[in-house]
Amino acid sequence: MVDATYDLAFDPHARSANLRFIAGRIAVYGFLGLFALIYLIPLFVIVANSFRELPEITRNGLIAIPQSFSLKAWPQAWLHHCVAGTCEGIHRNFYNSLIMTIPATIFSTVLGAINGYVLSKWRFPGSETLFACMTLGVFMPGQVSLLPWAFILGTVGLSNTIYGLILVHVVQGMSFTTLFCRNYYVGIPDDLIKAARIDGAGFWRIFFKIILPLSPPILIVTVIWQFTGIWNEYLFGVVFTGGRQQPVTAALVGLATNSMNARSYDVASCAVLIAAIPPLLIYFFGGKYFVRGLTQGAIK
Amino acid sequence: MLTIKAALAGTLAGALAATAALAEPKTNMLHQWSEGSDAAAIAKLGEMFTAAGGTWEQTSIAGHTANTLAKLRADVVAGNAPPAVQLKGPEIAEWNETGMTANLDDLANKEGWDKVVAPELLPVMKPTGHWVAAPMNIHRINWIWGSTKAMEQAGIKELPKTWAEFNAACDKALAAHLICLGHFSQDWTDATTFEVVVYGQNIDLFRKAFVEGDVNAMRSPEMVKAFEQYRTMVSKYMDPAIAGRDYQTTTDMIAKNQAVFMIMGDWQIGIFTAAGLKSPQDYVCAQAPTDWGKPGFILNSDSVVFFKQKDPDYIEGQKLLAHLILSPQFQTVFNQAKGSIPARLDVDLSNGFNPCQQLSQKDLQASIAGGTLVRSMAHNMTVLQKYRGAMMEVITSFVNTPGMSAKDAANAMADAVEAQK
Amino acid sequence: MANALSGIAAVRKPARGRDMLTAWTPRLVILPAALASFVYVFVFTLWTLYVSMSNSTLLPTYQFVGLKPYFELWSNQRWSIAYGNLFYFSAFYVVLAMVIGLALAIAIDQRVKGEAVWRTIFLYPLAVSFIVTGSVWNWLYSPNEGIEHFVRSLGWADFTFRITSNRETAIYAIIATGIWQSTGFAMALFLAGLRSVDPDLIKAAQIDGAGPARIYRKVILPSIAPIFIAVAVVLLQFAIKTFDLVVALTQGGPGIATTFPANYVYDLMFQRGQIAIGAAASIMMLLALAAVLVPYAVWTTWRSRRGAIRG
Repeated sequence: MVDATYDLAFDPHARSANLRFIAGRIAVYGFLGLFALIYLIPLFVIVANSFRELPEITRNGLIAIPQSFSLKAWPQAWLHHCVAGTCEGIHRNFYNSLIMTIPATIFSTVLGAINGYVLSKWRFPGSETLFACMTLGVFMPGQVSLLPWAFILGTVGLSNTIYGLILVHVVQGMSFTTLFCRNYYVGIPDDLIKAARIDGAGFWRIFFKIILPLSPPILIVTVIWQFTGIWNEYLFGVVFTGGRQQPVTAALVGLATNSMNARSYDVASCAVLIAAIPPLLIYFFGGKYFVRGLTQGAIK
Repeated sequence: MLTIKAALAGTLAGALAATAALAEPKTNMLHQWSEGSDAAAIAKLGEMFTAAGGTWEQTSIAGHTANTLAKLRADVVAGNAPPAVQLKGPEIAEWNETGMTANLDDLANKEGWDKVVAPELLPVMKPTGHWVAAPMNIHRINWIWGSTKAMEQAGIKELPKTWAEFNAACDKALAAHLICLGHFSQDWTDATTFEVVVYGQNIDLFRKAFVEGDVNAMRSPEMVKAFEQYRTMVSKYMDPAIAGRDYQTTTDMIAKNQAVFMIMGDWQIGIFTAAGLKSPQDYVCAQAPTDWGKPGFILNSDSVVFFKQKDPDYIEGQKLLAHLILSPQFQTVFNQAKGSIPARLDVDLSNGFNPCQQLSQKDLQASIAGGTLVRSMAHNMTVLQKYRGAMMEVITSFVNTPGMSAKDAANAMADAVEAQK
Repeated sequence: MANALSGIAAVRKPARGRDMLTAWTPRLVILPAALASFVYVFVFTLWTLYVSMSNSTLLPTYQFVGLKPYFELWSNQRWSIAYGNLFYFSAFYVVLAMVIGLALAIAIDQRVKGEAVWRTIFLYPLAVSFIVTGSVWNWLYSPNEGIEHFVRSLGWADFTFRITSNRETAIYAIIATGIWQSTGFAMALFLAGLRSVDPDLIKAAQIDGAGPARIYRKVILPSIAPIFIAVAVVLLQFAIKTFDLVVALTQGGPGIATTFPANYVYDLMFQRGQIAIGAAASIMMLLALAAVLVPYAVWTTWRSRRGAIRG
């Protein structure tokens, strides 16, 4: 951090330095403010449209100063709107997404922590190569893995079930979580581990007594990353479920994408906001850990 | 001894027969109609299925058709083919070749489908002579829609009947500072408008190039002429912002009398109705311009294909579903909701159908009689997807590349198709 | 980078049963994950490779036909456009997102008030589904309903902003929106890195009379060099997987100007029933990725070997 404060009373260059300081502040806030504005425009549009009446939206356009106010669209979006095969709004899809995302996040995080622990503290011949291989999974595009996954799920009898989808997300997410956790655990001094082993602690004891207590920052990072990634994922969620198990992204695509039918912009905006609440909450409360956890260990 | 054995056998046979008779028809239909009037139309099928004692389930996949097809493939690869899928055109034949589709001949013969379904559809639904698909509707592609007030403003008295009249009418529209042809550029809309142009100029060209996929027909001077007419339309009569515009906005251009004409299939009726427009006060419909003066019809049809199942409940459900789809009752309510006309020729449209839909059926009969009926390439009823995709890429590039000449486009289209062979 | 010699299990050979268990437990524990990863990464890739040389059309079939699908792939103009777009987009996207992310991080690092708010503002695009925000950007770019319409309604009747309607500029819309979506992540990483620079280093440079710009250039940025790598890796994998951006903003248009490999693969495999060619395209995408990753892996290994030799 650059400390830019000057003592005004003593410094003979105080006045010009002070001006420079203020100019600097204006530049910084101006820069941040400009970008913040650009960043927030889509959010403004969605929020505004969720409270406007549909005829007013079609009359005045999607991007306009709101001239109407209505709360009608909210219960429509949650309970009544006809989308993705039912006329129940998105609440069922929302619950489906929760049922799918929470276990997948937990499992992939736990597995990532354990794998990261093994690959950083219990190296064996070939463990570095194994780590590199697992990391490669991060780059696999979904279109490539879709048919092979379908075959595997079909073989083990999990096709079109929520468990199959959870399995897919866990295996895919494991690549990310292992990467994050291993790079983080590398920063934990090995002497700690050596000392514990000399004291007679075994594999699991060290994990629970030493590693886990130091893990919260990186675990929160993996939880955030996995939750938002899985919650917002569309292709696998739609292909590997059926009927009434579809996740909320399926309903969002139905509402938000170009279609041949008149779009209900107001209901679509509400649905979008409802679907965005869980990830946004997680980012809001976990955000500071996200920043903190990502680099501890990455630089060491 | 004998009697006990016989009694046991008899009981067993009776139990088996009872089980077969007790098969509860159920189904899970995979389709892409997830929103709006499409979804409402499919809901009607669900209602009829449930009313007939079946258990109705559906998997509706929003977004691009490819998403529905991705799920179909995933399910097939997983060994879990869906009992009923919305499939159309040459894909019915392709899937039939895999041997996984169920044969509906028994039901078809019992109910006499061959006699009531439009003849042009038969080779699509029976690719190897056996019924594998149940057609739900017939869409007409070659419509031209006109905004009543905009036409008045431009001094255009009636919808143009030939392409020369169309160009003249558009010149009038330009003089009145209106956009002549409302359009939004996507691969399927560019292809739809172009195939209407080709069909209107020269039916033989359409048949050879778009139905049979003949590469020489694509290179011919007639095709170049069609591209030249299309170039005039794109550069003079459409407005510059066609790329990036969406469907709803284009309809609004007609509703707000900013644009005079729109070339689109009959589902436009449903969209106009949802926007509160009425014919003829707000919009008028007519056959898209043809240079050969007879009733013409470019046909598109949605249909359901059934995949072989092991579960007897699903098998019963398939029979029930197929029976319902071809029933006059379903054909009526479904098409009223969707804006198309029934696939059965014997349904009376005088009640509950829009005047444009009634005209559609009349023209269909006339077109069959006059030998001018064709299937749509832009809507995946003729050539294989790989050829269609290649052609559509060239057509949409042509629309969006002002410098591409008609001759280059014709050759590019032919080259692209050849490359896939 | 951790010393390669640390973390090795006890130097003494495992003599008793408990020590044996301790030596083998890690391997057993990681075995299922290793197997799953092996299948996911290698078996899937090998399957795709085989299918890319098969006669698969509607469904995967396994008759070997050699490199024919690759020739068919490259004879498609749309593929060359897509492949070119991938490189063009990735270069702009990765570099610009890093530059802007770094700039935002440095700005926030100047002890601005309300840091949590700024941070959340720049991070929220990653939290919200892109299906959604992509649609909103689509509306924003649209001449009739978006920014152009809005500015015109304020009085500037000649204002034009229709980058998605123009073949030349449409890709910049995709780049810009992609940057909007992921720069927050780059910013978060850089910010944490900036925070963890040793304050003594900075004090020393200040005592030497260096101004803020010089301090950043000579002291701070070099010490967070590993962060640049981490950010580049994450941005690169986003770039390769570009799919939703195109679907939401341009559908590959105008015409086929902004088509991308992931979209074309999807189209080939699932819309057109040309699975072999789709698989060939997937392999080409993975090769493009290898073209970046392999030199990096070689360089890292060379660097750590050099470091080990130097002690």
